[in-house]
Amino acid sequence: MLNRVRIQDDMFTPDVIADPYAYYGRLRDEDPVHWNETYALWVITRHDDLVWLTRHHEMFSSAVFKNDPRPPYPDIDESDLGLYDYVRNYQGDQFIQHDRPQHLEMRRVMHSYFTPKQMEAWRPFVVAAVKELLDAAEAKGEMDVMRDLATPLPVLVIAQMMGVPPEERGYVRQLAEKLLYIGRGDYDRMKPLTEGMRGMIEYVSPLVDKRIVDPGDDFISVLARGEKQGVFTRHQVLVNTSLLLLAGHETTINLLCNGTLALLNHPDQWDLLKQDPAGRMKATTEECLRYDAPVKSIQRIASEDVEMRGKLLRKDDRVRWFISSANRDPDAFAEPEVFDIARHPNQHVAFGSGVHHCLGATLARVEGQEVFKALAERFPGLRVTTDTLEYQPSITFRSLKSLPVTWH
Amino acid sequence: MARKLRIWVDRTACVGNTMCETIAARSFRLNADRQSEAIDPPGDSEAAILEAAENCPVSAIFVEDAETGERLFP
Repeated sequence: MLNRVRIQDDMFTPDVIADPYAYYGRLRDEDPVHWNETYALWVITRHDDLVWLTRHHEMFSSAVFKNDPRPPYPDIDESDLGLYDYVRNYQGDQFIQHDRPQHLEMRRVMHSYFTPKQMEAWRPFVVAAVKELLDAAEAKGEMDVMRDLATPLPVLVIAQMMGVPPEERGYVRQLAEKLLYIGRGDYDRMKPLTEGMRGMIEYVSPLVDKRIVDPGDDFISVLARGEKQGVFTRHQVLVNTSLLLLAGHETTINLLCNGTLALLNHPDQWDLLKQDPAGRMKATTEECLRYDAPVKSIQRIASEDVEMRGKLLRKDDRVRWFISSANRDPDAFAEPEVFDIARHPNQHVAFGSGVHHCLGATLARVEGQEVFKALAERFPGLRVTTDTLEYQPSITFRSLKSLPVTWH
Repeated sequence: MARKLRIWVDRTACVGNTMCETIAARSFRLNADRQSEAIDPPGDSEAAILEAAENCPVSAIFVEDAETGERLFP
C-alpha cells in the first residue's frame, strides 16, 4: 500500500533509544510523513517539513495537553488516569503549551530576559563555574562528564538566575529527574512524574511568594511581575518557574554530554578543536547541537485538516516532529552523517524554529562553547573509558546515563 | 529630525521567531517562508527598531545609519 510503509512503530525499543538516527532516518527517507499506528500519531522527519510546520503555528497547536482528549501513550494503568489529569493540568499551564495570542503575551514577559546580549553577560559566570568544576575533577583525577560537569554546571547557572540558594540545588535536581518521566514510556511513570510536579510546586511556592512582595533582578521576579501584569495566574507562575528550572538545565546537560562524546568519538575533530579552542568553540557547539541534539522530538496537535506530502492530517491528530532526523537530512546538510566542527552553514533545528524557538538557546550555546573550549584546553588527552553507553528511554530527550572519561 | 536607518535581516540565521515584527511592525514583516524582512523605509522609531534588533533571539538583525554607515546594531 502506498500510504503504509511497514516499519515497526514502537519508538521506545532499546535499539531505537540507542540509535534514533537509523530508525528516524529510515522514516525520513521512506515515509517522511508517517502514520504511527501504535501510538496514533504522525511522525514528521524531514528538515523542510519541520521548518514549515513550526513556522505555521496557527495550523499546529502547542496546547498539546489541553487539546488532546486521548489517554497518554504508551498506555498507563487505568487507575493512574486520575494522576494523568493532574499532569495535564500542570503541563497545560506551561507557556510553551499555549498558542497565540496567549503565548505571545506570556513569552513577552520573559523574552527580553533571555536576549543574546543579556545571556552574554552571564558568560564570565559560566567560565568561572566551568573552571571550578574542572579544578575539582582534576584534583580527583577522573570524571564522569554527566555527574561532575554536565549536570552541576547548568543547574548552577539556572539556579543562580532564579535565585535558588546553593544548598538547595541538589534537591532541585532530584525533582527534575522525576519530571523527566514525561518523555518516557514506563507503564508506571505517572507516579514519579506527579511526585516531581507536586514537589516542584511545593518547592517554588515560597520563592514566588517572596518575589511578589519583594521583587529582585532574578528570573522568578520576572515571572512574578507577569502575575502582577495579569498575564499569569499564580499556578502559571509556579508551573513556569518549575519549567524554567527544568528546561534551563536538562537540555544543556544533554548538549554537554552528547557534544563531548561526539568530539571524543571523532579524534580528527577533537584535534581540530584543540588547535584553536577559542576560535572554534562556536562552530563546534553548533555542530554538536546538529549531530546529536539534546531534544529528539516535540509534539503538536493539528488545529485544522492539513495536507503534507499527499497525506491528510486531520484536525486534532497528534503530530510529532523529529529533530534527530531533520538534523541529518541530506537535503539540508552536505554529508549529514559526518561530524564536522567547521560545518558552514549549519541551519540545524536543535532549538526548533518559529514562534516557539527555544527561549534559552543563547544560554545553552554559551555553556556549550565554554565547556568544549575548556575541555580542549585543559584535557587534551581526554578519552571515554567505557564501551557501554546507555541512554534514558525517552522519546523527548537524548540523555546519556553517564559518560566516564580519563585524561591520563 | 530622525536619522535614516538601513536595516537588514540575515536569512541564514532568521528562525521566524517574529519578535521583531511584534515590536516594530512598520519596520519588519514576514515573507512567504515566514522569515523576517526589513521594510524600506522603516516606519518605527529608532528606539523601537533597536529594541526589535536586540530581542532577535538569533541576532539576525543589523541596523546602520543609512547616511554615515555607522553600525548601530549589533
